[in-house]
Amino acid sequence: MDQKITLRHGDGGLHTNRLIRDIFYKHFKNEILSGYQDSAIFTMEKGRLAFTTDSFVVKPIFFPGGDIGKLAVCGTVNDLAAAGALPLYISTGFVIEEGFEIEKLDAIAASMSRVCKLVGAKIVAGDTKVVEKGLVDGVYINTSGIGRVHEHFHPRPISSGDEIILTGSLAEHGTTILLKRYALGLKGDFISDCNPLSQIITALGDSMKHIKLMRDPTRGGVATALCEISESHHIGAIIEEDKLQIRPAVNSVHEILGTDPLYFASEGRMILVAKKGYGIEIVNILKRLENCCNCDVIGVFNNTYNKICIRTSLGGERIVSMLENQMISRIC
Amino acid sequence: MTEVEKKLIKKVILQIKDSVTSDIRIMEICGTHTHQIARFGIRKLLTSKIHFVSGPGCPVCVTERGYIDALITLLEQNNVTVATFGDLLRVQGTCGSLEEQKSLGKKVLTVYSPEDVLSLAQDYNDKSIVFAAVGFETTAPLYAALIKTASMLKIKNLFFLTSLKRMEPAIRFVLGNAKANIDGILCPGHVAAITGIKPFLPITTEYHIPAVICGFDEMDLVTSINVLCKQIAGETPVQLINTYKRCVSDTGNEAALSLMNEVFKISEVSWRGIGKIKDSAMILNGNYEAFDACKKFGIEVKSNPHPFPHECECGKVMIGEKTPDMCKNFGCQCTPEHPLGPCMTSSEGACSAYYKYGGSEFGSKNYASTR
Repeated sequence: MDQKITLRHGDGGLHTNRLIRDIFYKHFKNEILSGYQDSAIFTMEKGRLAFTTDSFVVKPIFFPGGDIGKLAVCGTVNDLAAAGALPLYISTGFVIEEGFEIEKLDAIAASMSRVCKLVGAKIVAGDTKVVEKGLVDGVYINTSGIGRVHEHFHPRPISSGDEIILTGSLAEHGTTILLKRYALGLKGDFISDCNPLSQIITALGDSMKHIKLMRDPTRGGVATALCEISESHHIGAIIEEDKLQIRPAVNSVHEILGTDPLYFASEGRMILVAKKGYGIEIVNILKRLENCCNCDVIGVFNNTYNKICIRTSLGGERIVSMLENQMISRIC
Repeated sequence: MTEVEKKLIKKVILQIKDSVTSDIRIMEICGTHTHQIARFGIRKLLTSKIHFVSGPGCPVCVTERGYIDALITLLEQNNVTVATFGDLLRVQGTCGSLEEQKSLGKKVLTVYSPEDVLSLAQDYNDKSIVFAAVGFETTAPLYAALIKTASMLKIKNLFFLTSLKRMEPAIRFVLGNAKANIDGILCPGHVAAITGIKPFLPITTEYHIPAVICGFDEMDLVTSINVLCKQIAGETPVQLINTYKRCVSDTGNEAALSLMNEVFKISEVSWRGIGKIKDSAMILNGNYEAFDACKKFGIEVKSNPHPFPHECECGKVMIGEKTPDMCKNFGCQCTPEHPLGPCMTSSEGACSAYYKYGGSEFGSKNYASTR
């Protein structure tokens, strides 16, 4: 087998066929995919479906805690989870730079396969394009997914008193990527939180009826996700700073750089809005899950606020605004 | 923060409230103090009789438009790459910003520490790297060390366009402005960590204004505000107090000062929105002229006499004459997304803090919600 991707791997001929067979079919193998058909054919269950798509252009492609493949499948699985859906079928499209190492492609496909097995989803359709060196940065991946929405999940308007739950600590993914991308040379316990979250749906079961809304705080972080919820539901909230968990190593990076972890991406956390009075019940269920053991009620929606506000550790208050610009390094 | 610390801070806040019986104005010279006070929600916990005003301590805010223009001019030259900290990217020159130049394909690289610049110069030895060396006494020793290292390593393709400013002349300038009407000053602890207490002594000895050298966490801030309020109320004598002794000694960081003296000399420079201040610049001295981008590329940083666009009042904000919400552009024409002036552009700027944390924190309208 070749060691690097060449333009002939994308010409649709023998080499494309071998690449698909030796990498993608090897890892993604299932009865629907193996038909060599232009479209995947499957029978859908009754009920509501969720459908989502996203593209992934992360740099670096491999990072502590994951790689672009894991991120691509988790991203789609978590978008479905935020819609209250368990993933069923996923499609994937690869745009690969000429010269990309096939060994890396194999590792990425293996990662995607592992996440799919974990969540019970199947990759049933795919596409591969190879472009000239310099046109993309290594590999870009698109994933789309279809999932079945839990029968008890019905997104509803948020009211005063509804509780905000966050399933873990903040900004682990965004900070890890930042450190790797810019080779800042800071040593510490930095690992992306990139993980699939569909187990939340399964674990909550009937309690999904107490969930009004879910959102995964990816780009723009927890702050932007909460601001978007606040704006779209025309209601403010008060968040308790003491309830927001930021690991000391992560916090230190942001103190050094002058950046705010509230705006950095998590790829394995979920914000849930629980009906007033049900927050603790939901938290107690989620805490049993591996990736949600630090789950907590972080705040409450409240009509007296027109924005997201944080009550600081001292008891003061400040506003949390949506991220206006890219977070950048500062001089002093 | 531990529960004991929280209780202690709350106790100090009560003491502050007891001391302050009439309206007072406290200047935070440093933009980081402005942001930290807002981030911890300290204003709301204090009495509304304490009014905080900003000072000229944000290096990005006081960087002349002509300096950005000079960097953009350098980008026009063949083979020049400009390296900068991120917060300088969006600062507007006369005709745009470095960020706009970058989007046009010009070679502008963001760095996260001065040491990165050395690696850049070594990695791209066929290109000229110009580092935008902006800052106060806090960053100047790092630049001095970098320049000295580059000299020892005989690096020939690294140059510096300096805009390094000194705190003491700026403080004298502000205190000489009667309109600022300041009752007490929070002095920047990180500058004092380098300089020692000397540059801040004139505040109390010559101008008889209460002053405190302050750190950056919650306890530092409330303790320092308490010390200031007691002096303002006449409960304690007016004198420079250092509450940041864990980092600031009376004589400062002598190794850093020696390094700065070896590489830089004192000169006059124009501060954005304020004008020329005598002896307020640190520029490369004769021994290190070979690293001076102005001399190497035959350019000049011109101070721009024209007023800020659309009558932006950042200049008055930075000398304590006005608060951001007194500017008619604030929150409508001027936002972090479309900043007119440097105080909104810089993440450390006073207008940015007012806008970002807005509302009850500053006792003013919630600007951020009006977008």
